[in-house]
Amino acid sequence: MSNLVSFGYIVPELLLGAMAVILFLLSAMRRRNLLRKTIFPGLAILGLMAALSVLVNRTSGGIFGGDPGCISGCSLFFGLLATDPLADFFRILVISATTICVLISIGSPALPKGRTGEYHGLLLVMCLGMCLLSAANHLLMVYVAMETVSLCSYLLTGWDARKCRSREAGMKYVLFGGVASGVMLFGMSLFYGLFGDLSFQGLHLALQGSGALSGAMGQWAATLSVVFMFAGFGYKIAATPFHMWCPDVYEGAPTPFTALLSVGPKAVGMALILRFFYSIFLFPGSMETVIGASGQIPWLLLIGIVSAVTMTLGNLAALVQNNVKRLLAYSSIAHAGYILMGVTAGGQEGFEAVSLYMAVYLIMNMGAFAVVSLVEKASGSEELQVFRGLGKRAPLVALVMTIFLISLAGLPPTAGFIGKLYLFAALLERGGFWFLMLALVGVTNSVVSLYFYARVLKSMYMEKADTDLPTIPIRNPAAVTATALSFATLFLGLFWQPLATAARWSATLFH
Amino acid sequence: MGEAILFWFFGGLTCVLALLVIVMRNPVHSAMALIGNLFCIAALFAMLDAHFLAAIQVLVYAGAILVLFLFVIMLLNLKDHELGNARQTATKIAGAILLCWVAFKLIFRVMPSTTAGFPAVGDDYGTVETVGRFLFGPHLLPFEVASILLLAAILGSVAIAKKKLW
Amino acid sequence: MITLQHYLVLSAIVFSLGVAGVLLRRNALVILMSVELMLNAANLALLGFARQLGDTTGQSLALFVMTVAAAEAAVGLALVLALFRGRGTVNVDEVRSLRG
Repeated sequence: MSNLVSFGYIVPELLLGAMAVILFLLSAMRRRNLLRKTIFPGLAILGLMAALSVLVNRTSGGIFGGDPGCISGCSLFFGLLATDPLADFFRILVISATTICVLISIGSPALPKGRTGEYHGLLLVMCLGMCLLSAANHLLMVYVAMETVSLCSYLLTGWDARKCRSREAGMKYVLFGGVASGVMLFGMSLFYGLFGDLSFQGLHLALQGSGALSGAMGQWAATLSVVFMFAGFGYKIAATPFHMWCPDVYEGAPTPFTALLSVGPKAVGMALILRFFYSIFLFPGSMETVIGASGQIPWLLLIGIVSAVTMTLGNLAALVQNNVKRLLAYSSIAHAGYILMGVTAGGQEGFEAVSLYMAVYLIMNMGAFAVVSLVEKASGSEELQVFRGLGKRAPLVALVMTIFLISLAGLPPTAGFIGKLYLFAALLERGGFWFLMLALVGVTNSVVSLYFYARVLKSMYMEKADTDLPTIPIRNPAAVTATALSFATLFLGLFWQPLATAARWSATLFH
Repeated sequence: MGEAILFWFFGGLTCVLALLVIVMRNPVHSAMALIGNLFCIAALFAMLDAHFLAAIQVLVYAGAILVLFLFVIMLLNLKDHELGNARQTATKIAGAILLCWVAFKLIFRVMPSTTAGFPAVGDDYGTVETVGRFLFGPHLLPFEVASILLLAAILGSVAIAKKKLW
Repeated sequence: MITLQHYLVLSAIVFSLGVAGVLLRRNALVILMSVELMLNAANLALLGFARQLGDTTGQSLALFVMTVAAAEAAVGLALVLALFRGRGTVNVDEVRSLRG
């Protein structure tokens, strides 16, 4: 579709961009401090809500009405963006995640007061990048959108002016990120040279049409370029071996932003991996037809191995952490591995499981970070020691954290259990020895992960606080958000059908 | 023949200068080598008929990015002992050489081999007009997104690097 | 006769040198410069392929790479500057309050 027509379909992105510019302009003006405190988060939430309402309005007929809703298959901006339920589902996810992040950020000491306007503007630009990345259908768009997300995350990671730790985390993130994007770009240029196109449709046609790649050389080159590109994608979702940045960055970044960082880029990275691999290497709507050059590139094997290694490494490293933020960072690496199981399974069930798990993961992980943010605000640290005796000091906060931890471990009756169930069901549905082995690795890992989540629980309920730690105020937006998220976790653990319907709708690529 | 001479001259210089970037102890020397390296690459771009890109390479890289590097190096005003001793453990060097060798071998092996020269292209290939038509036609959206990205990067950098929080 | 292969090998050499710089050097400024080398190597390969295909899309991507590289350099340098103010070093081995 031509440019002018296409702009009508990216109204949410336009709203986000406009609000970001307004925030940047307002932050350039001097005004009283009181106004600054409320107006910036208010405006940011206004922009996010406007974008979300446009999206919900557009998709609600599709999800629950049964008709495919968005004109699926047609592509915007001459093929740069796709309009399909997958993109819209992940857009809704990242906009919700950004909204939660704004709510948690209110009153956080980690964010300099004089920079509130820029902070919220950057959050909106990052959200804009994530929305575009979840719909990107062209490697050029993938690169630009991904860098938008990355640059804003570098800046926001280094945002905390009080602590050198934050600056240091930001610098490490820039260095790792620069290398990853350079490697990804080199892979893209190789891929472009081999198949002569950058759009996913064009690449799909080139791969299926060209027949076999010319000899062993061509196969090597294609595999290498896919591995290089996967380095860039894997870096966004923090998959092994591109996860090294993750614990340091999560620990150093301001906690409210860590909540977004652990969810948003991971979600859109998953959407990108799904779209890239399944629309280039397979015929739409089928799992088995692998002909031409795409049969010679072992991409499914690559993702499966990365999935198994990622969850094992993440869980093992989490066992020995004493800092709760670091522990959650390794747990988020492990979750990237779990979600990649769904990507490996593929097909209708696999896509559905990935979408569903991503939504559930968003709720429980952001909730857990919200609680860490509360505790950190009250006691100035996020080590495991300051969680001691939380069950006595702040029963409500401890209860909320317990719900999130149980959900992260994947136990009933929480949403995390439902999410894991869908992931394993997708793998079993796929059948085959190696898929079953992967499921087995996943189950083993879930059992291992119980240990370190239980450590936090033990610290909260069984251990006595050694000094008199402060109580935790619960009359603030962050606490209310955390409580609401814990309700959502429990609710979705019992009545998951609406979410499952939406997830099924998002997998329309396979209808 | 002329093309070959130019390629070997600029290509050789590119390699030497890139090596200098990574071995020089003083960042100022590295930055200078990088400027030379980027000029050589701009010349190579011109030889690939990417005239517009060659001009932009000089303007953006040498004119903007490297000046920024030099400014920051100047601002930091690193003393000699702060440059860090150039002590490289033998294992690290060996590891890097091995890794580079493997990477290079791998990349070199897999590059599609061609013996024929470049095909002919029209006169308008790589001109401002052709690239411009692409940027304002099919690639309009990334172009606009890039503007937002630059705005965010500028504001964010200032907010981070500014000393006083007003 | 200069062919595509020549340009690709040159780009592979520059890319490898960039990777080596990232691995060997501990000065954050030099690591950022090495990243610039890697991006330029990718651009060189991209323009070589674009010339071979007679296609302008590759040139367009190369232009975006330069734009993003400029923004990335600005952000990276701002963070280095801010870190230097707090710590007085640009050596990535000496800043170690985060460990794992």
